[in-house]
Amino acid sequence: MRTRRLLPQPRRLALAALLAAVGFAVALPARADAIRCRPMWDFSIEVDGSYPKEALFYQSDSRGKYFIDIPACKSGLLLDLFAKKIVAVPRTLVSRVDGGLQVNDGASTGATAYAYSLDGGIIQFQAEDKKVRVVPALQRPPLTGQVSFDDLLADRAEYREGMKLYRPDADAVAVIGKFAKPIEIEAFFATWCPHCKEYMPKFLRVMQDAKNPRIKLTLVGVPKGFSETPGPWKEHNVTGIPTIIVMIDGKEINRMGAGPGPGPEMELAETLKALR
Amino acid sequence: MGEAAGELARPPAARRVLAVASRLGRVGLGVVFLAAGLLKAFDPAEFAHQMSGYGLVGPGIAAVAAPLLIAFETTLGAALLVGFSTRATSAVAAGLLVAFIGLEAWGLAKGRTESCGCFGAYVQRTPGQVIAEDLLFVVLAALSFRGTRPRPRDPSSPPLRPSRAAVSVIAVAALSLAFALASPSLPIDALVTGLSVGRSLSGLGIEGKVPAEGRHLVALLDLADPGAPAVAERLNALAGRAGAPAILVLTPSSEEEKAAFLWSAVPAFEIRTVDRTVLKRLYRRLPRFFVVDGGRVVSILDGAPPGPEDLISLGAS
Repeated sequence: MRTRRLLPQPRRLALAALLAAVGFAVALPARADAIRCRPMWDFSIEVDGSYPKEALFYQSDSRGKYFIDIPACKSGLLLDLFAKKIVAVPRTLVSRVDGGLQVNDGASTGATAYAYSLDGGIIQFQAEDKKVRVVPALQRPPLTGQVSFDDLLADRAEYREGMKLYRPDADAVAVIGKFAKPIEIEAFFATWCPHCKEYMPKFLRVMQDAKNPRIKLTLVGVPKGFSETPGPWKEHNVTGIPTIIVMIDGKEINRMGAGPGPGPEMELAETLKALR
Repeated sequence: MGEAAGELARPPAARRVLAVASRLGRVGLGVVFLAAGLLKAFDPAEFAHQMSGYGLVGPGIAAVAAPLLIAFETTLGAALLVGFSTRATSAVAAGLLVAFIGLEAWGLAKGRTESCGCFGAYVQRTPGQVIAEDLLFVVLAALSFRGTRPRPRDPSSPPLRPSRAAVSVIAVAALSLAFALASPSLPIDALVTGLSVGRSLSGLGIEGKVPAEGRHLVALLDLADPGAPAVAERLNALAGRAGAPAILVLTPSSEEEKAAFLWSAVPAFEIRTVDRTVLKRLYRRLPRFFVVDGGRVVSILDGAPPGPEDLISLGAS
């Protein structure tokens, strides 16, 4: 059976070219306005007074633009520092790529926008029916007292992500992992302390990788002004943080973490080697 | 009388040993005070910062007191070295050391762990080490004091004229004060700080903070400084220029200051926080700029932020 030609050959070619051009013209601005975002762990998102684990702050490759992802909100939120506003971005325009996000904000013209205010380093605004604050991680209310390994990681993304990035020395970790005697470690740290934010994820990664069941690790968060506040840090004469107290047979054999030095696995491995 | 009799009863050998020990104590203590004063004079602003860190005086008073205390320590050191009024200077030195010990002990009790700044910004010790060291210096002061007896003045001798030692001490006092006041403006950063061309990132203590690959302009910047937004504006302009190296700011500022700066200055460059004790070895005054290529410092640009042409020409070299 012969098919009917609706248009002669040259016209069909011209129409195809026209459609391609229109398609390209439509696609081009969207592509140009697509920004890549990667998580920024230095900031936490507070929503109505709590810190949902899934709420994340992203830095974009476009200067002055940051993306705020709050799963409880219908839309994503694009913070534009130059426009001084936060624009709601439909979730259909947000896609996951390479551990980050791609946000197409080209279509956000005319979208809902929210005003924000600054309080020092904190950004605060009202989006949908939620009160949102972007808070530097160290300014969050501190964790104080004894805290479990899992609870600490669940609560503090900066520790969790810092652990993923650290690559401890495998030989030193093996020494710690194979140490035969029971070890008690008491780690005094503060979630408000920048040095702890650098050191503790490394130390926690070492503890995780060593997988030594004979290590009993106790994590103690200390409050601000701890030198004048009663607590276990006073009993152990902790004067600086982080302080990692290593004990064997109930006897203190070393304190780590208070000053600059090698990675925590190196220092701990050296201490344990000396005891052999 | 009893003491004089004891001195007479002491065998000559013991007296000689005491005299030598006393002289060594005096000279040793003189060198310590002179070194402490001169090292602090290289960076009086840092000494003022450390003084105010104890919380006993505010930054304004510390800024005025720092050059005066530096000049005082240097003069005391010089006076001990030249043997000017040895008993008085030894007593003053001992008093000063006891005051320092008290201050350190108080700081320690308050949970202070920072270095005291006794020998400037570039010698770091814990408060415990400082107390032990100062106790040793008190022993030197006691030796210096003990070995010198006041000589009764002969009434028939001619009236006192300023000795060469006194003139030297006055000259040292004037010069050290002038140096402490002028030092921040003197081009001695290369001598005083650890930042120099050819040094590696690990040598500077900033490995992991600056990428070892490629060329980077590194700016050391206090984000809370009122001049920081203007510096950021210039760096932003620079970041947009073709051929300019990647820009990275290292700051001793707090996370809160960094956040406030991010929202207000909208930087087109990355900012990384570095512990102040690490960063302080690289500068006397902020901002300071340097270029790192392949993990080594290839150029240092002191003063205002470099212009695009400077950097692009550096990139081409």
